[in-house]
Amino acid sequence: MSFADIPRSVLGQEYDRHVYPPVSAEELVAYARSLGIDDPLWTDAEAATAGPWGGLVAFPTYVVKLRGGKHMPDVVAREMTAGGFDAGKDIDFHAPIRPGDSITASSSIVDLYEKTGRSGSMWFVVYRQELRNQRGELVANVDSRMMQRGRSSGGGSTS
Amino acid sequence: MSAPDFEALDVGDEMPPVEVEIGRELVSGHARFLGMPFPRFTDEEGARAEGLPGQIAPGNMSLAILARELLAWARGARLARLGTTFRGVVLAGSTALVQATVTGKDDVARTLECDLWMESGEGDRLVIGTATLAWP
Repeated sequence: MSFADIPRSVLGQEYDRHVYPPVSAEELVAYARSLGIDDPLWTDAEAATAGPWGGLVAFPTYVVKLRGGKHMPDVVAREMTAGGFDAGKDIDFHAPIRPGDSITASSSIVDLYEKTGRSGSMWFVVYRQELRNQRGELVANVDSRMMQRGRSSGGGSTS
Repeated sequence: MSAPDFEALDVGDEMPPVEVEIGRELVSGHARFLGMPFPRFTDEEGARAEGLPGQIAPGNMSLAILARELLAWARGARLARLGTTFRGVVLAGSTALVQATVTGKDDVARTLECDLWMESGEGDRLVIGTATLAWP
């Protein structure tokens, strides 16, 4: 089987649902500090009360930490084992994450395609983590593009 | 850096370029925090063993640094969307330049569209992207 043979029926199907325990204020502050952020808006719960959200919220890109419990469905992962790397991300941000929020990550494949360049074929898998809080509010859609050099011609695009 | 408000910004305006240190310890600490303690992110020798020129920053860190600098500039705005493409490795221990340009403005929705990127000391654009900023 090659990348081109991955059934398109995987598209849009949830392959993982992961519920995270409630996030703490300390976790949110630690994320900001791990990026070198010292702005009180993101690191000081008391100072953040005067900010636009009326309290401490996660720095927006914290959502990339919530990758779910399974990277990819087995049928895709089998074809993405040759040193694939992260080619980029597209994130739509919605409700902020506040301390005490419990986030559920629902993962699905949203696109599979092949590109051919000077160095040969490249395979792309786009998977999405849809993140919702305990009230069912959409927090973010995080689309990640994983790229891998093709191991064979693969028979053309799957997209 | 002063914080421009929505009314003061228009298409063609540029964020003042920001020089950022991609510190080795910051990279390894952030990678561990993200649950990605892989040698390429935490260890110079481990990265070379993977065929890389040295310890690199995770893509998830590079995009976060772009967001960090954009929001530090557009203070008061909310990041509504961020799209990034990782074109080259961001080496730990290097200095990069983060820049952004306003490419669109919607006065009704009170949003700005921006192009943004991170370039190496040699001028190579390592991470490119677009973002939407929203003001209340």
